[in-house]
Amino acid sequence: MKIVVGLKQVPETTNVKINEKTKNIDRRGVSGVINKYDRNALQTALDIRDVVGGTVIAMSMGPNDFAVSLQEALSLGADEAVLLSDRAFGGADTLATGYVLAEAIKKIGGVDLVIMGQQSVDADTGQMGPIVAEMLGISQVTYADEIQPKSDNELRIKRYDDNIEQEIIAKTPLMLTTTGNAGKPEYVNVVEIKNSFEKPLTTWTSKDMPVDSNRLGQSGSPTVVRRIMSPEPKERAGKMLSTDATKAAEELAGILHEENLLAEED
Amino acid sequence: MTDIRENWIFAEKSINKINSATFQLITKMKSISEIPVTVVLLESQADSFENEIKQYGPDKILTVKDDELDKADDVSVASALSGLIDKFGTPISFIFAATTFGRSVAPRLQAKLLTGLTADCLDLSFEDDLLVQTKPSYGDNIMCEIVIPDFKPQMATVRPNIFKAEKVFDDTTKIVEINDLNWDKDANIQITTHVLPAKTDENLATADRIVALGRGGKQDLNNANELANKINATVGVTRPLTDMDEFDQSQQIGQSGETVAPDLLINLGVSGSVQFTAGIENANTIVSVNTDKHAPIFKQSDYCFNGSSEDFLKALNKVL
Repeated sequence: MKIVVGLKQVPETTNVKINEKTKNIDRRGVSGVINKYDRNALQTALDIRDVVGGTVIAMSMGPNDFAVSLQEALSLGADEAVLLSDRAFGGADTLATGYVLAEAIKKIGGVDLVIMGQQSVDADTGQMGPIVAEMLGISQVTYADEIQPKSDNELRIKRYDDNIEQEIIAKTPLMLTTTGNAGKPEYVNVVEIKNSFEKPLTTWTSKDMPVDSNRLGQSGSPTVVRRIMSPEPKERAGKMLSTDATKAAEELAGILHEENLLAEED
Repeated sequence: MTDIRENWIFAEKSINKINSATFQLITKMKSISEIPVTVVLLESQADSFENEIKQYGPDKILTVKDDELDKADDVSVASALSGLIDKFGTPISFIFAATTFGRSVAPRLQAKLLTGLTADCLDLSFEDDLLVQTKPSYGDNIMCEIVIPDFKPQMATVRPNIFKAEKVFDDTTKIVEINDLNWDKDANIQITTHVLPAKTDENLATADRIVALGRGGKQDLNNANELANKINATVGVTRPLTDMDEFDQSQQIGQSGETVAPDLLINLGVSGSVQFTAGIENANTIVSVNTDKHAPIFKQSDYCFNGSSEDFLKALNKVL
């Protein structure tokens, strides 16, 4: 199977604040790591390859420093890596990003399976898998928990559609998105790190793919972020009950009865 | 394609019922816009979920009766929804619940229609026909205000249980039944099992009363269970407790767990991280017990007890 894994480099911590001067997100001193769900996606791809054979290609779109994460993917066992990097891609929303990823996957050609994490931990959109799947015209199974190859072109998948348990048999070509339960990530070993530098890591720009420039970056993005804010939790009265547990319990029991909070509804 | 002055809401079904998030979206969309609200319902010939939906007062329900679409996969449903837009025109907005299903179908449809979509919104409002969408990112540490000025439909998925659903008592909903919709079936996906697991925890998202345990309350599980039994409450936990054998992820309240909206929430030894409090804002009455009098949870609570949760639970179990 030819498998492409979509990886996003995200800040190591999501505990970021807004810079009061610039009104932008302050990422100073925060280093980049592979999005945690994408690690599950990568491991799922490696596990499938190890059973049915084939190639795993790690792919990411972003600035040149995203190559670090692709290098890490190679050291974790991916066979090849492709970085999609071009100023023209900058400022892209989900639709414009999905377009570039889909065009790059078309360029690779003959891809049986695309796997991505269920969502990134920074933007939290979860849209990339379905968007790319639609643009490639392939089927999708999102939020996959357990994935097993059933044959050379079929996977058996367990997932939860909220609280509904589903088992699915899916034929390739297919897009899968993985939860944190799929493909338990393994640690890198030193030999693999050394070998990873022998593996191909290529960068493609907009000139390497037959892309429509109107669909790239900001101009290809229907959504506009008007404003970013810090969340303001609504504060409540915070009335202190007695410091004596027995008295406090009596006070609360009175309040619960008075406010009718223990009554059964229909 | 023609534009139509309607806001569309996708009616999401669980097994044999409409997801309550759909009703919440109808009430919310009616309250923020004068534009007529249309609910899109896909159901089998034998079902009549439109009768339940119309109690919430949408202007119109487009009911597609098709046994094959009843429990269909994402790709087939996205194709059917795109077919409806071809047939009736492009609405101003198209809103989905941010459930697993909504978050999988909506972006698929977005890519078909080449429009914008904002995922997992916590609030919606209108400026004329412009839908203003508020969405968290960075694990709820940042809020973004997003608009889609030049494309239609303006699409969003909205987190369940953020808004309250209200029934209305007029009977003016127009029901349009569609029996001849063309859509492409996805032959590559075969759903072989579609069941509610035998072990169903009481559902936190719909519970009227919840007793929540945090790190400071985990040793009081027995007393907490006794209280939960007495007041018929569901037990929930903070994220760190899901690592313990006694609890699982379905019991987690907060940003990466369930958003809850009970009448009464009693927090035991919960410190009150943003990740947790993001999930409890819509609780009616919040009571918190904590040994730390500066615990952030007290600012998010209506009633507070500063002391041991063990003492408090024992005393409360005695008087209730």
